Amino acid sequence: MAGSDLYTGSLDLIILKALSWGPLHGYAVGRFIRTSTADALSVQEGALYPALHRLERKGFLQEEWGLTDSNREAKFYQLTPTGRKQLKSELARWHRYAQVMTAALGAGRPQAAV
Amino acid sequence: MKKTFHLSRGGDDARDEVRKEIELHLELRAREFEAQGMSPEAARKAALDAFGDRGAIESEVKGMRVTTVRERNRRDWFSELRLDLRVAVRGLLRSPGFTIVALLTLALGIGANTAIFSVLRSVLLRPLPYPDADRLVQLWTDHRPRGRAEPEWLTPPDFADWRSGNRTFTDMAAYQGWGPDLTGSGDPASLDGATVTGNYFNVLGAAPALGRLITMADDDAGAEPVVLLSDALWRTRFGADPAILGRAIALNGEPWTVIGVLPASFRPPLESSPQLFRAMRRPADSGCGRGCIVLRGIGRMKPGVTLQQAQADLGAIAERQAAEFPRTNDKVGVWLVPLHQQITGTSRAALLALTGAVAFVLLIACVNLANLLLVRGAGRGREFGVRAALGAGRGRLLRQLLTESTLLAVVGGGLGLLLGATGSRILATLVPPSIRSIQDIRVDLPVLVFTAGVTLLSGLLFGLLPALHAARVDLMSTLKSGGRGGSGQDGALRNGLVVAELAFAVVLLVGAGLLLRSFLLMQQVELGFRSQGVVTTAVFFPRARYQEPPRAVAAIDAVLTRLRANPEVRAAEATDVLPMSAGDQDVTAIPVGMPARNDAPGSIWYRSVTPGYLQLMQMRLVSGRHFTPEDREGSAPVGIVNQEAAQRLWPGVNPIGRVLATSDDPKDPRLTVVGVVAAARHDGPNQPFKLELFMPLGQFPSRAVNLVIEPSRDAPAATAAFRRAIQEVDPLVPASAVEPIEQLVGGAVALPRLYALLVGIFAGAALLLAVLGVYGVMAHAVAQRQREFGVRLALGAAPSGILRLLLWQGGKMVLLGTGIGLIAAFGAGQLLGALLFGVGAFDLPTFTIVPIVLAGMALLASWLPARRAMRVDPLVAIREE
Repeated sequence: MAGSDLYTGSLDLIILKALSWGPLHGYAVGRFIRTSTADALSVQEGALYPALHRLERKGFLQEEWGLTDSNREAKFYQLTPTGRKQLKSELARWHRYAQVMTAALGAGRPQAAV
Repeated sequence: MKKTFHLSRGGDDARDEVRKEIELHLELRAREFEAQGMSPEAARKAALDAFGDRGAIESEVKGMRVTTVRERNRRDWFSELRLDLRVAVRGLLRSPGFTIVALLTLALGIGANTAIFSVLRSVLLRPLPYPDADRLVQLWTDHRPRGRAEPEWLTPPDFADWRSGNRTFTDMAAYQGWGPDLTGSGDPASLDGATVTGNYFNVLGAAPALGRLITMADDDAGAEPVVLLSDALWRTRFGADPAILGRAIALNGEPWTVIGVLPASFRPPLESSPQLFRAMRRPADSGCGRGCIVLRGIGRMKPGVTLQQAQADLGAIAERQAAEFPRTNDKVGVWLVPLHQQITGTSRAALLALTGAVAFVLLIACVNLANLLLVRGAGRGREFGVRAALGAGRGRLLRQLLTESTLLAVVGGGLGLLLGATGSRILATLVPPSIRSIQDIRVDLPVLVFTAGVTLLSGLLFGLLPALHAARVDLMSTLKSGGRGGSGQDGALRNGLVVAELAFAVVLLVGAGLLLRSFLLMQQVELGFRSQGVVTTAVFFPRARYQEPPRAVAAIDAVLTRLRANPEVRAAEATDVLPMSAGDQDVTAIPVGMPARNDAPGSIWYRSVTPGYLQLMQMRLVSGRHFTPEDREGSAPVGIVNQEAAQRLWPGVNPIGRVLATSDDPKDPRLTVVGVVAAARHDGPNQPFKLELFMPLGQFPSRAVNLVIEPSRDAPAATAAFRRAIQEVDPLVPASAVEPIEQLVGGAVALPRLYALLVGIFAGAALLLAVLGVYGVMAHAVAQRQREFGVRLALGAAPSGILRLLLWQGGKMVLLGTGIGLIAAFGAGQLLGALLFGVGAFDLPTFTIVPIVLAGMALLASWLPARRAMRVDPLVAIREE
């Protein structure tokens, strides 16, 4: 499946983050992911859409229809209050995880077993 | 972001949205590549490559989107429903008068329908409690060509021929009554039993609760005497002791072995509920020949056989019998009645009539509510206008209004169910016992489903029209006119509804009138016997202690002598069969010396009486003499026949001195006719005359008789006299309840009175509702046109002119409604046919009085509001707007 080189849940987390400044349509969310990660996460762009719709069904996002800059009708996504809470707790979890991993991977040679 | 309005209604919308979303992505991405210098084609390709497997992703997302939209729509629907309900409850609470009237009307209408339907279902719709009950038929012989209107029982040889010769029946069983005396197990008791052929239980499809059933082997002439107990007898008499199996009980002084107990659920298709069963124990054609009509037959048709096929099959056998035994069987046919019809037949017409009546009442109630809602809707025109202005669509308003009417219906229906369950219990006691002994009458699941259906249907019926009407809001005009509304079309609709109400009410009133007239005519029928001033009680001298029948007669005489000596008693006599009561029996009647005739009646109904009985009962002697105390055991047997028997058995001949034989056998009783009495309506005022034979009790004894006394002062003193006299003669004989003759006579017309009463109540409700409907419409019209009348009066119109105008408006509705109703009533009257007595479907007095009463009340209902219109103060009316 596309996006399999991402850590589990990290795509969802980036999407929530992308929407934390306001409603965006799907393409704009994808562009945020590309630019913010400097294309380092070679995600297949299409993988974004199942993730967006899954988050909507979970109640983290809600839809909002509006016009793009080029005056086209598009579906915009917006964080719900639950989505905002989810972003906060996922961020905290991610930071803890990253700290632990960094510490673990930066540690010296293990002592011999007693 | 600039917001747009977007609505996803269902699956197609959802899939389309996904396709567009992805297409937009690809276009914008391609534009990004183009900005980097690619050609449009290359940019498009690069965008597609970056996207991945478009087909797979798109179909996955579409699936998710469809579910999301569907769930959200459902959530929205429920939240709208909650909102509508809240609004509806608030609206109904704001007008408590309307709400209470509506709920009461609905509760009564739906309750009455539930109660009647619970009876209808139990009696007519639920199958009888036997496997494949629709294949069971009652077997009768048809004596109509011989001048006997009623179906007749079977003779044992005829039954044997039918059973062995037919090709359309799986099997046939026969049965007859049996009344043994049980002794040696507690107090002696006379039991109610049945004698059955060995295959009886097999034909009905019964299974034993304990032990075994009676089988063909028990039916042989030499078989051991065995009995099968009913659940009730087993419990009350033998303490539900399973050890009773295999034990012998004493019946008529002989030992009978108990072989089994029937389950409580087994209900034999008989008028009475037998307490025990025995096998016939004789070949069906012995002892009792052709012409000896003693058996009742029941048959189970083969699967797929129709009643006509069975009728034709047995009919061919009957024709052969007629050719072979012309004296007994000529012109005797086959009469098959499906068992269900046999049991419920008499109740069918009445139940259907009652069902029709309650349905009409509910219909009228719904029409009335529709009218109330129309008026209410007109009053709320402004509210709807405002809501429409705020963006509520027509569908949304319609839904709100239907929610309100459905809420009313559901609450009303709930109350109605409670009323109906109570009503059902009361009605159940009024159903003839022959049906009640087989079918329980209760509110069961199908009745609940029926009530729910009727409730929702009523909600739609009275809610839809006003809702459609109110939701068709003309925004501008409603808001401008301050919500007064009330267009001409409005009025036409309301008038139409009232016309319908009046027509329904006429139909019901005519029906009630016809039934009432039938009942009154029935009451005026000359019964031909004393119908007041005497009281009766049953007394029974058990066989166990009165082996010889004359001993019982001596005991009866002793009781009568004591009674006559009592100053509380003016006269005391006895008979074994009272008028208007069960237990009538008939016997073959052969007028000796008369030429054989085809239309000669085959049998005569006989009663043993004490010498003074006919005089006490005021039965008029037409010729000959009454019985005397000399007509006793040992003297020449004599009899008195009624006029009906005299004319049918001895046409054109004086029957006095003629001999009547009860069979060809010279050993059987032959008696000389000494008197003729006027015919009496023995079975009730609406029943035909029977051929009757009275015989002296001394010559034709009976152990069970009814004592009849004329009290000197009052019935209670006579009751004490009964008790004392019986006690003195035999302290072991229990005294039964004392029943005045008025009660017996009243019982015979109890059902016609009940039908007239019930339909009368429903018709009264219909009349009230219809008149209220007229009043409501007129009052509303007057209120609407207040200003117009004010202007007219101010311009010099005479108040009487306005009154005439309004009365004419009401009068038109009344005329139209009554006219339509009378035509419909004529049709409905035909359906009542079987319930009518002495009146036709077109009964002039009924068809005259009903329209006069209805029109009078309806005009009164129009006059009351019209009078108010006359008194309008022009100044006030004009200033009001």
